[in-house]
This record gives sequence, C-alpha cells and structure tokens, in this order.
Amino acid sequence: MNETADISKLTRKDFESDQNVRWCPGCGDYMVLAQVQHLLPSLGIARENFVFISGIGCSSRFPYYMNTYGMHSIHGRAPAIASGLKLARPELSVWVVTGDGDALAIGGNHFIHAMRRNVDLKIILLNNRIYGLTKGQYSPTSELGKKTKSTPMGSIDRPFNPIALALGAGATFVARTVDNDVEHIRKVLARAAAHRGTAFVEVLQNCMVFNDGAYEAVTDKANRQDARLILEHGKPLVFGRQRDRGIRLRGFEPQVVQLVQGRATEADLLVHDEQGANRALACLLSEFELPEFPVPIGIFRAVTEPTYEQRNAELRELACASKGRGDLSGLLNSGDTWTIESSESRNATWR
Amino acid sequence: MALMINDNCVNCAVCEPECPNAAISAGGSLYVIEPGKCTECVGYFTESQCMDVCPVECIVPNPQRVETKEQLKRKFEQLLSS
Repeated sequence: MNETADISKLTRKDFESDQNVRWCPGCGDYMVLAQVQHLLPSLGIARENFVFISGIGCSSRFPYYMNTYGMHSIHGRAPAIASGLKLARPELSVWVVTGDGDALAIGGNHFIHAMRRNVDLKIILLNNRIYGLTKGQYSPTSELGKKTKSTPMGSIDRPFNPIALALGAGATFVARTVDNDVEHIRKVLARAAAHRGTAFVEVLQNCMVFNDGAYEAVTDKANRQDARLILEHGKPLVFGRQRDRGIRLRGFEPQVVQLVQGRATEADLLVHDEQGANRALACLLSEFELPEFPVPIGIFRAVTEPTYEQRNAELRELACASKGRGDLSGLLNSGDTWTIESSESRNATWR
Repeated sequence: MALMINDNCVNCAVCEPECPNAAISAGGSLYVIEPGKCTECVGYFTESQCMDVCPVECIVPNPQRVETKEQLKRKFEQLLSS
C-alpha cells in the first residue's frame, strides 16, 4: 500500500488484499466485495486515496479484504468516523460498509445524521435481515413474526425500512440493489460513486446459514421479474416477465394495473423521477412490499445539494476572514489556568 | 458439455464442496472447473449442483467442450474406474 500505482493501470487485482476472505461460502458479501473491486479501478482515483470504514458484523470485515486504507471501527460508529475523516481530508474517497444490525440497531443514530448532513460518503448497507456474526438473532430489518434464536415465538418488532429511513432523514442519494444481479449492482455502485454527498445503497442480501432465502422472491431466477420493479429515471413504472403490469396513482394511492388494451396503457402509469422537487414519489415507492406490490430496485432518489464538507470549508473561510487564522499550538500551550471575568468587567468590555 | 466458471465469479466458494467429481477448485484469481472431471453431474444428480447453488449464476456450459449426455455418462464411468 505504500507504493503509488499508476492510476490508469489499476485493475480489480490491485484492490484485493492478501487476506483470506472469511465469510461463509455463498454469502452475498462476496458479491459486493467483487463488484466494489471491479468498480474502483475505473474511478480515476489513486488507490491510496480510498478509505473503507466499517463497524462490527460480518459486513464489517470488508476493509480487511480491500487493498486500500481502511478502519474496522466501533460498532455502529463507522459513519461518525467516516464523517470526521472526510472533513479532515476532503480529497479522500470515503466508503462505509455496514449491515442491518450495525447501521440500524446500535448505529441508528449515526446513520440518520450521516444522511441528513450530506457528507460525501458512500454508505453500503448489506441487509440480510439477521444477525449473522452472532449466529442468527433477529435484526432491525427482520420481518414481523420472524422466528429466530432470540425470537422463538416470532418477532413482535416492526422492522425498519432502510430506504424509507434514509429518505426520511434527508439523504440525497438512495438506492437499492440485490446481491445476485451483477449488472444491476455494478450500475448502482457506479452511480453512488459518482454522487457528491451521502450516497446510500441498500443491498438485499442472502445469509445462507442463518436466513437462507431472505429475499428469494426477488432473487429467484424463474420468478424475479414478477417480484421486482426496476426503477429507471424518466420511464414508466412497468414490471413483470411479460412487462404487462404497471403502477398507477389514484389520488395518493398507488395501484398495480394490467396493461391491457382498452384498460390501461403506459401513458396511465407513474413515471419514475429520481430528481423530484420533493421526496414524495421516492417515499411512496419505498413503501412497496410483496405481495401487494413488487419490490423496487434501483435509484429512488438522486439530487444535488451542497455537501457538508463544502459548507464546513465555507464556514472555516468565514471564521478566518472575521477572526484571522487560529493558532492551535498557541491555544494548547496557553497555560493551565484561566480567569473567569466578573459580570461587571465583562459588561464593561462589551460596552 | 463440461461446465465453466465465467468472469462474474465472486470467489464465494459455495460450489466447490457441491461437486461430486471434485472438479472445482480455487484458481489463480477465480474458481475453476477442470473440464476433464466435469460430467455436469451426470451419474450423480439430474441437476448440475454447482449451477444450482451459485448465487451469481456464473457457471455456464463450456463451449470448448461440447459433449452429449452419453459422452458425459461414459466420462462418469471412466472417472469412477480410475
């Protein structure tokens, strides 16, 4: 890692570390790792300017397998550490890899604040709806009624919807992909990498050991086209093996309609707009669940807003312009004591 | 025909223990199938086990090794006797 490689000659191999990958055979994590390693050489960024930061969980082993800088950090705190890094070193490409437990249970707080601040981070959430590393307890995305080791009679917790949560927290880029669709995951990761601001990508992922078939309906080769709604900007919401069904809006209520001559045509359908003036359409789509609606896959929302580090730089310039450059060394060595002035003397000074 | 693993392989290793012919191994960069040992599971199963478990559908027929079911059956018998 100390050698600077020629950016134009980087390949997937250059981003593979010398560590043996220790995930269970067949885990969706391998897919995300392979596709990230496939994407990075195309971004025109020097290898030493990538940083992968994780918290705790199976997903959080990710930085070990990347031949980049990285930090396997504190449970749920990867967005906080990544935010700090990006503010201190805005030239770096900072990625967070997390899971449904790490991001949405212990790290729920940090997750929403990363979303609202719009720090230029890429946050990939590997959502397998189970705690895999601790061997199969329910997670914040486990379905209501899910039987696990810690919910033997079924979960009574209503699950988080990560897409809705990110949108609600004000994220500027929100996307969902699946762990067995190479082309789709590549497209979504490339878009996330190009976004300026917090880019949130949820990967629907299988856990072969503790939650096998977590998203079978949307990943099963034979039936997935009926269960998925591929979101494409500017195109009507059409789905199904025969592309014969679509989504129509009646008042505020979405409806699945058959595209049958004389009943409904593509012109009647909702058209996807990832850059809408408000989040209404993205929020509406985020609510779609089987069996009533197909599961939306793709980019829900992608809008441009100033990033946190841009605003921070402006703030710094403003502060320097009005008060001059600070002197950290001087401040640190200014002594161990200070005086609290009396209110009279303070008032006198202010006058 | 024998099967092969294409570039979409993500090295997840799930196929390796499924092969009844022990034809799959970790190659230099991706997992590989030794064509001489692959019978598409003819002789053992009706479905190719590796294709069935591969989460990214990267295992496909090898166009360089076109073989009929009968040839695969004979390959299976030869592998058994060797």
